[in-house]
Amino acid sequence: MYLNLQEKKQKLPDMNKYITAYYMDEEDLMKGLRQMKAKGLKVSDVLTPFPVHGIDKVLEIPRSRLTRVGFIAGAVGAAVAFGFQAWVFTIDYPLNFGGKPFFSVPSFIPVTFELTVLFAAFAMVIALLITNKLSPGTKPLIHDERCTDDRFLVLVKVDDDSSDESISQIKLTLAEAGAEGILLKA
Amino acid sequence: MENQTFILTKKLSTITFVMIAIGLLTLGASYFAGVGLDRIAANLLLNTYYFLAIGLIGLFIVAVHTIAESGWHTSIQRIGEAMSTFIPVAGLLLFLLFVSGGLHLIYDWTHKDHLDEILLKKVAYLNEPFFYIRFLVYFIIWISLAYFIRKNSKQLDQIGDLKYFRKLRIFSAIFVVTLALTSVTSAWDWLMSIDAHWFSTLYGWYVFSSMLASGTAVLIIILFMLKQMGYMDHVNHEHIHDLGKYLFGFSIFWAYLWFSQYMLIWYANIPEETIYFYERHKHFSTIFYVNLILNFLVPFLGLMTRNSKRGSLILLPVALIVFIGHWLDLYQLIMPGAVGGEKAGIGLPEIGITIGYAGLFLFVVFRSLTKAPLVPKNHPFFKESFEYHTQY
Amino acid sequence: MYTSPLREPLIRGNKNYKQVTDDILAPMAGTPSKYWYIGISIAGLGLLFGAWSTYITVFYGIGEWGTNKTVGWAWDITNFVWWVGIGHAGTFISAILLLFRQKWRTSINRSAEAMTLIAVMCAGFFPLIHMGRLLLGFFIFPYPNTRLLWVNFNSPLLWDVFAISTYFLVSLIFWYVGLIPDLGTVRDRAKTKIRKAIYGFLSFGWTGSARHWSRHETVSLILAGLAAPLVLSVHTIVSFDFATSVIPGWHTTIFPPYFVSGAVFSGFAMVLTLMIISRKALNLEDYITVNHIESMNKIIILTGSIVGIAYLTEFFMAWYSGVEFETYAFFNRAFGPYAWAYWIMMTCNVITPQLFWFKKIRRSVLLTFIISIFVNIGMWFERFVIVVTSLHRDYLPSSWTMYRPTIVEVGLYVGTFGLFFTLFLLFIRVFPVIAIAEVKSVLKSSGEKTKTTGHE
Repeated sequence: MYLNLQEKKQKLPDMNKYITAYYMDEEDLMKGLRQMKAKGLKVSDVLTPFPVHGIDKVLEIPRSRLTRVGFIAGAVGAAVAFGFQAWVFTIDYPLNFGGKPFFSVPSFIPVTFELTVLFAAFAMVIALLITNKLSPGTKPLIHDERCTDDRFLVLVKVDDDSSDESISQIKLTLAEAGAEGILLKA
Repeated sequence: MENQTFILTKKLSTITFVMIAIGLLTLGASYFAGVGLDRIAANLLLNTYYFLAIGLIGLFIVAVHTIAESGWHTSIQRIGEAMSTFIPVAGLLLFLLFVSGGLHLIYDWTHKDHLDEILLKKVAYLNEPFFYIRFLVYFIIWISLAYFIRKNSKQLDQIGDLKYFRKLRIFSAIFVVTLALTSVTSAWDWLMSIDAHWFSTLYGWYVFSSMLASGTAVLIIILFMLKQMGYMDHVNHEHIHDLGKYLFGFSIFWAYLWFSQYMLIWYANIPEETIYFYERHKHFSTIFYVNLILNFLVPFLGLMTRNSKRGSLILLPVALIVFIGHWLDLYQLIMPGAVGGEKAGIGLPEIGITIGYAGLFLFVVFRSLTKAPLVPKNHPFFKESFEYHTQY
Repeated sequence: MYTSPLREPLIRGNKNYKQVTDDILAPMAGTPSKYWYIGISIAGLGLLFGAWSTYITVFYGIGEWGTNKTVGWAWDITNFVWWVGIGHAGTFISAILLLFRQKWRTSINRSAEAMTLIAVMCAGFFPLIHMGRLLLGFFIFPYPNTRLLWVNFNSPLLWDVFAISTYFLVSLIFWYVGLIPDLGTVRDRAKTKIRKAIYGFLSFGWTGSARHWSRHETVSLILAGLAAPLVLSVHTIVSFDFATSVIPGWHTTIFPPYFVSGAVFSGFAMVLTLMIISRKALNLEDYITVNHIESMNKIIILTGSIVGIAYLTEFFMAWYSGVEFETYAFFNRAFGPYAWAYWIMMTCNVITPQLFWFKKIRRSVLLTFIISIFVNIGMWFERFVIVVTSLHRDYLPSSWTMYRPTIVEVGLYVGTFGLFFTLFLLFIRVFPVIAIAEVKSVLKSSGEKTKTTGHE
């Protein structure tokens, strides 16, 4: 059922070398990550089937700035919507609806609100896809197909000029932290 | 978990007594300075209703979280319970206000000799005997349920038997349902009938949303006061974040209902409805718009970021502004009809009497906090609240 | 984080993560059961009926309907509001329950949100077809044109255009963003090359990277924060279609929150109807447990009671206002020629949800199923009563008339049911009906083996 990665020599889409190791449980993962951090091992990434509580802090992932994108886009949407309606109703195509004033703020509000939400939502999702480098055509860098099932994979990037000794040291740290299936992938 | 018992220090009680004294003095001074009995009566109604509603909301917050099986709120539960002890005090003050002549000063429909044809149609509901019967019904329901909820909450803590938890849930459910009905009808009785020629089906819920936002703000203010005094250490940023989210959300919800009522009446442009807002635009326009700024713009923009809701730096000022803002909201619900544009204003009577009521409210709340441990250790969900942190 | 042992488990059967994946992906594998084929055939027949009705309406005109000069809106707008209302539950579950940290939403949000998208499509059909000149339907959008005019931004009917469009688009991206990680799971489990390619395309290259999850979580939370007021605004704007008028029974300030509560009420009833069938048919009873059903029933009591209080308020104000037209409108509803519709509405909407105060009824799957159908019948009649009885007798007695639907209108409604069930049955086969990643994230805290997770 699963591609047996341990036997085939896999060609990875990006040219880096990685040492991978996995856990079967997120609590063991978190314990292990803290141990690795204490020993000074720099973890590049962790692939998990669901978002693990607390992992952002351990891996020192900064808080996303996508919220700012959302706010700015929303403000732009509000300005565009309100401004456009005001222009249409006062200058370009004023209509008399029940004798109410042309610059009628209460009746501009619903459309303004809707476009605020629309702009904010779309901007954020598009920004999410861009920053995560996700798109319909993206080929995933699959280290282990079970990352989306029940395995938690730890990735440590290995520089091309790393010595064999440093690689063994990394593997040792991973083993002591309780990881299984430690492999070097080219 | 130290500091489980709240001690009402002499310093604290003295401050509240001074506030109450200020209130009484301004009340007397206003009377003798010829401020006008209707304005004084309207102020007394405003403040009594405001703090009554805040007390009811305190209990409502406890009740809703109890029936929703929420865990985190148990850490702050005592504050809501303490707020509810003001309800009987408010009931007494409101009753005294009504029977001592306030009813006739504030409500046009009580002048039985000169009722116009519109008010005559409403006589079956707007008459004094029925009014007082409803008044009694409201307070009997509220006071007894507040009593039972508080009693079971204390017993749960002292004895630890889960049967008290079950009773707590039942009384909470009854309270939520009855408050849903009585808050609406009491708003009609005491507030909407001030402008008895006018009506709005949203009115009850609109007033409720205003009090909900304000009650949450007051809960936050009291929480920060307690923390400042060294209590409630177990309340961490996560609990505060949730309260901040509530203040943010309830303020937006209030603005939504404000807009719905206003826009619909503006759009249909029916004179018997628009007269209400015409009055407010003409003589109370500053307050009308300041109301929106304080109750919507400030919490909406101020509490948008995550961090603003997690500590007292921004949350406390915003809560204070919302508290003042909804007082103003209530002001423009009551004053135009009860007093009128020429005689109303925001001056010494308004500020002084409000300080008095605030002092009384704080005194009652602080006294109530001494009566039960601040930490409901035996509540089945308390451990969840104590070890509380979430992903978001 | 600690979870009190008093809480009922949300995932039964002592599952581990792999079992969760297996169970939820199972309905997508293999060939569909015979019940699926029967279901989609019946739905297809409904669609055909709808197609015929659409043909008649487009080629022979709105005159083929029962609407007339006085009752200008009837089944068309009733159905529109009914479907939009149903759609609200999905976003409520996805967004508002997320903000309230209700973990039980994780098993139902994917299907509920899919139901929302389909319901909004069904809803949008009605304003489109009731325009008459269907091919000019694009006129409703503001774009620079040779007629040198713009749409009327001050009309609630136009606000509807923006509201429904925004609602559909935002729900779509909210649903899809949540779906991406699960599509990655499907891709990685795919056995054939074609399936792998298709789901690979749909999953956008998702790997499960912690960095990606971090941004994904942030965006989901903000989308929930945006979708929550959005869902309130959509049915509010729909209610503005009526409330901004001067018609007694339509112009009343309580409509916005009352409509929203009613929408959530009927939406949850539809979610229950669908989930009760799905959980049995797809063997997902361990994930959509009786506890989930009970929680949904509690929301039904809440929203149903709010609707009930709104009825009482409207009734009271109709008298209190002293406006004889308003008073007559409500008298006519209860005792006039459409009284039968009014009393069906009252029984279904006010009485039936109150049954859920009894724990035995709340936790009975069969009774819940029956009650959920009655709730939706009641809510259809509520919209019918509001639209038709208010129109058929308003200010001028000489304009009073009656309304009767024609077979064409019935066909359009049946057609939308056909569309709804066709798309939902397809959804079950093509996408995982439960949010796999989200269920896994609450498995430890809320599964049968409650275990405390480590402190941070």
